Amino acid sequence: MAEHLHITPIGNDGMYILDTASWRVHRPVMNKEKCVDCGMCLSYCPVNAIIGTADGRFEITYDYCKGCGICANECPKGAIDMVLEGGTN
Amino acid sequence: MGKIKVLTGNYAAAEAAALCRPDLIAAYPITPQSSVVEYLAGKVHNGEIDSNLVQVESEHSAMSVVQGAAADGGRVFTATSAQGLALMYEPYFRMSTLRLPMVMALATREMTSPETVWSGQQDAMSVRDAGWIQVFCDGNQEIVDMIIQGYMIAEDPRVLIPVNVCYDGFYSSHLTEGVDLPLPEEVDAFLPPVSFNHAVLDPKNPFALDPLTPGPLMMKYRKSHLDAMERALDVIDEVDQKFAAAFGRSYGGSLSEYRTEDADVVIVTIAGMTGTGMDAVDIARDEGIKAGLIKLRFTRPFPAKRMVKALAGKKAFAVIDRSVCFGWSQGPMYMETKASLADTAEQYCHFSAIGGLGGADISLDMMLSTIRKLDAQKNEPGEKETQWYMAD
Amino acid sequence: MSYIDVLKEAKDQVTPGMSACQGCGGELILRTVLKVAGENTIVGIPPGCMAGAGVVGWNYANGLHIPVHIPLLDNTASFLTGLSQMYERKGRSDVNIVAVAGDGATADCGFQSLSAAAERNEKMLYVCYDNEGYMNTGYQRSSTTTKGSRTSTTPIGSVINGKQQQQKYVPLILSMHGLEYCATASPSHMADFVAKIQKGLAASKKGFAYLHVFSPCPTGWAYPPQKAIEVARNAVKSNVFPLWEMDQDSYKINFANKNPIMVGEFVKGIGKFKNLTQEDIDSIQEVADKRMALLRRMAGN
Repeated sequence: MAEHLHITPIGNDGMYILDTASWRVHRPVMNKEKCVDCGMCLSYCPVNAIIGTADGRFEITYDYCKGCGICANECPKGAIDMVLEGGTN
Repeated sequence: MGKIKVLTGNYAAAEAAALCRPDLIAAYPITPQSSVVEYLAGKVHNGEIDSNLVQVESEHSAMSVVQGAAADGGRVFTATSAQGLALMYEPYFRMSTLRLPMVMALATREMTSPETVWSGQQDAMSVRDAGWIQVFCDGNQEIVDMIIQGYMIAEDPRVLIPVNVCYDGFYSSHLTEGVDLPLPEEVDAFLPPVSFNHAVLDPKNPFALDPLTPGPLMMKYRKSHLDAMERALDVIDEVDQKFAAAFGRSYGGSLSEYRTEDADVVIVTIAGMTGTGMDAVDIARDEGIKAGLIKLRFTRPFPAKRMVKALAGKKAFAVIDRSVCFGWSQGPMYMETKASLADTAEQYCHFSAIGGLGGADISLDMMLSTIRKLDAQKNEPGEKETQWYMAD
Repeated sequence: MSYIDVLKEAKDQVTPGMSACQGCGGELILRTVLKVAGENTIVGIPPGCMAGAGVVGWNYANGLHIPVHIPLLDNTASFLTGLSQMYERKGRSDVNIVAVAGDGATADCGFQSLSAAAERNEKMLYVCYDNEGYMNTGYQRSSTTTKGSRTSTTPIGSVINGKQQQQKYVPLILSMHGLEYCATASPSHMADFVAKIQKGLAASKKGFAYLHVFSPCPTGWAYPPQKAIEVARNAVKSNVFPLWEMDQDSYKINFANKNPIMVGEFVKGIGKFKNLTQEDIDSIQEVADKRMALLRRMAGN
């Protein structure tokens, strides 16, 4: 914790983080069989929820994914499906 | 002992600013301030000072550019007047509330309309609640000395509030006087290098400068700012004494007094009218009126305690404002003087005098008439009608 | 290094959870710009969607991993001028000075300070994410809003039908300021976008670099969030948002677009355009065609 003298407003006590995963209605699910590792999904994800793995592949993380569906819409191989959260489509 | 030079108020302000070694100067012309930034531009272009000079497109940007440099710990300077001050109000308010110290010269000028470019203090008075320290000078020597003192006050860790050094447009800004200009090494010895570092944007120490701040937290910042304003009153008097020790000139800190010791009636003056006021006091004394004068130097923070003390035992006072307080038919510094006296104000005979708007003269006769009015009514306590210094 | 590798390897400088809408073009642009700029960067983000989404900090917390300040809506380029000059003065011009500002802070009330900083060739990279309106305050029209758009201040009325004026084309105006680098970019064309951020950062060491980026906005424009990149791509393909750059006084078209789609196709499925008359569509088409023809002449092709 930084000492706050209330002189100039400064934000340096950690990171302001919202639980954006709770907004998600549909979850993107990647079909690794169809995925050709082009990385389009990573480049277009506004939330940076898609990461590159050590073996050169790509993976969706769900901690902050808002479920916008851009990755599924943009995947040239149709390898990502949007699946209703907590239920079946 | 410095170097004696004959300088206008604006050149005096520029010379003093140069002596304080600013990292960055932002300049935009406006009457009657323009020659401050012209003079500094000359110094930069001739290599006489090592300051960055940014020729901005407006006063709004002048204050914004210096704000950016101050947010990196830089010592900065700019100058303006009236409409320019109004245009820069947005970053002006933010400079003080970000608690970034700096000095800005203000060649005070009446606010339009009616269309005017001439003297008046309405510009400075209109922003008296924008969180800056404001000092009013009555002569070119005082302008030099207060710009140097201004940096020391503003950058004091107990204060960290920007300072406006105000002086009457044209009357001070354009008239020449002999000025004892301190030598660079004298100023270097007096004013330590800039060192404030409470809000320096740097990738080595990342933070958000001015995050979104909710009300309960906002309250803490405001209170801290007001507390610092209170502390500034002591710092102002301290710096005055330090300056006197170094340069042999003292101005009395937040206010000064002239022939008030045994006075019954007192006029309170602001900036350049003070000299005429002192002459008026002398003449009134010759007439047998026990007159005195209080020169209100700092309007922010308002030296309420010292004002109460200075007026203690007097019978009557008038405050002469070169600006108006809309909605009250009175001058702003009259109202604040009255406020500082609170309930005890009714023990005095007192009234507001308003004059000198838009470059109009405040003559010796006008000030004498105020003193005579006060003397005639000194035993009838209560507020009297506002006196307007009309020419006809 | 391919642009995918650049984006994959770079550290995200933005809080993982920010309150930008689903499918926000601005969020993608902000993260991409700051990924490429890296940690040795100071960024100014004026009021707008990105600032409102919490990246300029909240309470005592930061919203980024790098220093950030929320300047006034109208002084971003001026504030950063002071900062940039101080960093150069301190001998630390390696620090990137970057602005990420919306079209209101850029094209409207911030235009004066932006124009002046560009004219002085101040050393910074100024990125405008242009979502064609004041989205953060509920989508009011700006000078970059496309003609005919439905906004909060240009509603569909029984007498007046949406925005009546054509958009102000800011990037070309900026390119005449004698600045170091000027370009347009779209998140749909990521390789081009990443390359332009890199060029802009390099140019910002010598002078003013300006990047005008198309920022699709599902909430304000009323289209499904998954279509964001598609909308941006169609804007480029219809010549509504041509991709070009100006470097050393020479103009270059980065996407030739030999077989453009019609404006009518671009506006399809976007709610803010649903009221357009054929006349409106024709007039937007005419502006797009003329602009592209002008750019081609300037680029010498």
